[in-house]
Amino acid sequence: MDYLTGIATAAHGIGMTLYVTVCAILIGIVIGLVMALCKMSRHAVPKIIGNVYIEVVRGTPLFVQILIFAYGIPYLVTAVSGGTASFNWKPIVIVGILACGLNSGAYLAEIIRSGIQAVNKGQSEASRSLGLTSGQTMRYVILPQAFRIILPAMANEFVTLIKETSILSYIGIVEITREGMLWAARDFKSFPAYIGVAIVYMCLTIPLSRLVAYLEKRMDPSAPKMKKRKPGI
Amino acid sequence: MIEIKNLVKRFGDNEVLKGITETIHDNEVVCVIGPSGSGKSTFLRCINLLEEPTSGEIYLDGNLIEEKTINETRARMGMVFQQFNLFPHKTVMGNLTLAPVKVKKMEKNAAETKAQELLEKVGLGDRGSSYPAELSGGQQQRVAIARALAMDPEIMLFDEPTSALDPEMVGEVLEVMKELAAQGMTMVIVTHEMGFAREAADRVFFMDQGYIMEQGTPEEIFENPQNERTKSFLSKVL
Repeated sequence: MDYLTGIATAAHGIGMTLYVTVCAILIGIVIGLVMALCKMSRHAVPKIIGNVYIEVVRGTPLFVQILIFAYGIPYLVTAVSGGTASFNWKPIVIVGILACGLNSGAYLAEIIRSGIQAVNKGQSEASRSLGLTSGQTMRYVILPQAFRIILPAMANEFVTLIKETSILSYIGIVEITREGMLWAARDFKSFPAYIGVAIVYMCLTIPLSRLVAYLEKRMDPSAPKMKKRKPGI
Repeated sequence: MIEIKNLVKRFGDNEVLKGITETIHDNEVVCVIGPSGSGKSTFLRCINLLEEPTSGEIYLDGNLIEEKTINETRARMGMVFQQFNLFPHKTVMGNLTLAPVKVKKMEKNAAETKAQELLEKVGLGDRGSSYPAELSGGQQQRVAIARALAMDPEIMLFDEPTSALDPEMVGEVLEVMKELAAQGMTMVIVTHEMGFAREAADRVFFMDQGYIMEQGTPEEIFENPQNERTKSFLSKVL
């Protein structure tokens, strides 16, 4: 049965897809937090850095960012060194993790920022009135509450990223989509191959989306809803 | 001792405080009364720089209160808010120990022992492991008072501490405040509770339109007000 083979083939890529997605989201949370704090800073320099980062990353396609990382940077290293040095991403999965992590960092920055701003102003006043510094207030009072508010939006970002990593197949990372492509190329069974790929993605995303819906229901209804992200390419 | 010199606060074009000069002495209980929008809360919030004065100075024991040293200053002044502002993600015990541990670098055990004493003092000795959402408004406000006291403040600022409470819970909070006053705590209390002001205050400030229009002992203000505005305000609220 070709369709079952298609699913089974695509399923080989689940490990790689989840590996890239989890690593990328962890990088994304760190970058997102830093950029959110930069953007909200009272000082001009971090504010500009945060704004530029978020605008540039969100204003360009993930696919282009991946191409710049995978092929642009090795070229740049060679060009700058005058041909004496060469550089290759090894293993190539590093590109996938870095590019997706940096990309989702920009989206997570906006989510984290909205979460921080959703925490009642009285919380920071109470904390500051006790003598805690602004850093301590952020760490012990604001962020724990903000993360609770944005948990559904962050889970949503995770689901989106699972789908978006499919374009890493183009640079040769053997994840779910790539497994399907390889089988399609080998046996010319394109339709069963890609239907299999689609079903495997759905098996990952639908339970996660259910979880997000459950989390959303449990969260404070007054918390702001996050904007849905662009569909993958 | 808090000395306030020519304190002015503007929000854009709106001048909320129009030059206030006053001294609050140690162990004194000052109640600030007046109509809504008279600048009472802003006045209180300027004392610990939750609002930054537009001009004028405030001194604590002779030292200027300024942004540079504000965290040390705030650690010496407790504040209680109308909306309690307890940390909802922390237990009552967690609320009381956060600042002593992080700001005063107290040992966690010592901070918890002290917190337990304070909870017993406000009548909530058995609620240390509860979360704020599990408590009534009156209980939450008593926890908020205990949280401020956990820092051993020299001064307590109260910003309409009973205004958000159901009427039957006002009494329990005022009781705790009276007890504090009896122990000699320096207190500045913005309140609409005239009965409390009359009973507990050493001095009463009547504020209107950004000025302290009249100040004096509760007897002077409530029995024999001199200012026309004070008279008209009191005739409406008493």
